Amino acid sequence: MRDIPLSNCERRFLLKAIEEKKRLDGRQTYDYRNIKITFGTDYGCCIVELGRTRVLCQVSCELVPPKDSRPTEGIMFFNLELSPMASPAFEPNRQSELLVMLNRQLERCLRNSKCIDTESLCVVSGEKVWQIRVDVHVLNHDGNLMDAASIAAISALSHFRRPDVAIQGRDITVFSPEERDPIPLSIYHMPICVSFAFFLQGSYLLVDPCEREERVKDGLLVIAMNKHREICSIQSSGGIMLLKDQVLRCSKIASVKVSEITELINKALENDRKIRKEGGKFGFAESMPKERITTLKRDEAPVEMTDVKETANEIVNRTETPTEAVSSPVLVAMGTAQVGEGIVNSWGLDEDEEDEPQTEDTKTDEVLVISDSEEEEVVILNEEAQKSTKPSKQK
Amino acid sequence: MAVEMRLPAVHKHISLAASQSNQDDKHLVVPGDVITSDTGFMRGHGTYMDEDRLTASVAGEVERVNKLICVRPLKTRYNGEVGDVVIGRITEVQQKRWKVETNSRLDSVLLLSSVNLPGGELRRRSAQDELAMRDYLQEGDLISAEVQSIFSDGALSLHTRSLKYGKLGQGVLVFVSPSIVKRQKTHFHNLPCGASIILGNNGYVWLYPTPGQQDEEAGGYYTSMEPVSLSDREVISRLRNCLLALAAHKVLLYDTSVLYCYEASLPQQIKDILKPEIMEEIILETRQRLVEHEG
Repeated sequence: MRDIPLSNCERRFLLKAIEEKKRLDGRQTYDYRNIKITFGTDYGCCIVELGRTRVLCQVSCELVPPKDSRPTEGIMFFNLELSPMASPAFEPNRQSELLVMLNRQLERCLRNSKCIDTESLCVVSGEKVWQIRVDVHVLNHDGNLMDAASIAAISALSHFRRPDVAIQGRDITVFSPEERDPIPLSIYHMPICVSFAFFLQGSYLLVDPCEREERVKDGLLVIAMNKHREICSIQSSGGIMLLKDQVLRCSKIASVKVSEITELINKALENDRKIRKEGGKFGFAESMPKERITTLKRDEAPVEMTDVKETANEIVNRTETPTEAVSSPVLVAMGTAQVGEGIVNSWGLDEDEEDEPQTEDTKTDEVLVISDSEEEEVVILNEEAQKSTKPSKQK
Repeated sequence: MAVEMRLPAVHKHISLAASQSNQDDKHLVVPGDVITSDTGFMRGHGTYMDEDRLTASVAGEVERVNKLICVRPLKTRYNGEVGDVVIGRITEVQQKRWKVETNSRLDSVLLLSSVNLPGGELRRRSAQDELAMRDYLQEGDLISAEVQSIFSDGALSLHTRSLKYGKLGQGVLVFVSPSIVKRQKTHFHNLPCGASIILGNNGYVWLYPTPGQQDEEAGGYYTSMEPVSLSDREVISRLRNCLLALAAHKVLLYDTSVLYCYEASLPQQIKDILKPEIMEEIILETRQRLVEHEG
């Protein structure tokens, strides 16, 4: 099922807004959306939320024979999947261009940068090595899948613990997590992808494009970098021509962003480690906000607050003073008036006095008539002046 | 900047006595409901056999024609029929045809031979016409067309061989469910409130300012880019909100219902029409007028 095509006026609106340096959600040109990293109960499971884009990554390991060309190195296997859950535009089992691009970029970013020490994954040279499998699933697509996927992958790899092994000659004993604590992977550095979207033949760029912005982009530049300012990979797609200083500028921006994101990842890992050590509750269930029926909670929406005081004062000055409630004789009709409400007769307490609800609220136009009259209905003479007749409350 | 706030409130359930009588005849099912355990029936669309019980696979109304039982879904993609008026957006320009997106399962096809040439000529389409296709309709353009035929795989073949069909100019497009648009003799209406409407059978409704005078030679080619006056824009905005209100309450859309809803909404501000309480009031009044109009 394809997405509804973008209408011409929406496209024009987005491009015009970008020309005026405005974004749909109010961000600045170089701002990222809110990044939230949460870990699951198993080691190696991580969910990253970049605004509304959600990506889940799971790392697992297995003992396999190594590749013939590299008998002393472990194997890393990356897999990214786009399920229809992420967007109605994604069809199951369809090899789309986006999927291929994401997979290739993820591999290039993590494997070619040698961020994981594959030699340490070797158990018995030439016979058994660890194969680390990284599965990334996109849960919701709201733009910039590449960044979210790379953050999720490297966080999950940093979080993952592989089982401990003992080698005696040719025998390998793999210890379960209960017998011996699992060992983390040895990670040299954390490469993170930063995406730049270009518009109007490369004249304007945006960092972290959302889904609408991605639809109108001309080209995309993805720079994978780590916090030591080393570029791990650069990829430009879309066929736009970039100038040298544009690329340099992007790499400077990327280094700033990457250091912020790396700090975020490290903080999240540290939090998780602390909670696990203290024996507290960890996992996805704990990191989800409690959805109680009695409370209404929405994300904070930024509201423009310039001139709030002046507009508020203006509104207050413009409104009239509220009319005061004056208790005066209620003119029921010509010649008939009612002052006050009167009180209920307290003589002769009958059985049905208990179930007489005393309604205290009278509006000035409604006449509450409490009388001892035996008549069913109290009719006020001179009816044209009277708005309504009310049956009396029988005592 | 003043921000408006509302507290959540209980919604009143609107059900008129007039509509109740129709409800009893309909056999509504949800996916998984057993329609019948009798094995003598043939199963049609929307059903499946579950241990020789005929079960529904979609949510909708059961239709029985002699021995054939099928379930017509309430909410579905547009299933075209020959003669329907549809509004679509061009997604691709291919050799000798355009691909049009019409809210159906497959993109519809508009063949080059099914459009009018500029100037109304009648001749065979040449290679030059093929190269000039993009000058007429590009990706992203909106058109109104009629369904000419249906391919075997279910894709629709459209044509714009009449002066009233063609490229659409300035206006507002509203998306509603295809099952809400009533099938009528004509789908092009000039509403007395000052705007015109095209009710596409595929659920796309186009609102546009009533054109001043009809340009005969223009056909479907000329789209006026003159600025639309503020009063026209207000009428169109109000109509658009009324359409959304009608669609939210599942009222059949046709010119009379749209008009009644517009008139019922006149005392409200345009932006208030979409508030749930006010929407209910307007729809109640519209429904009452429609019932009187029929009865």
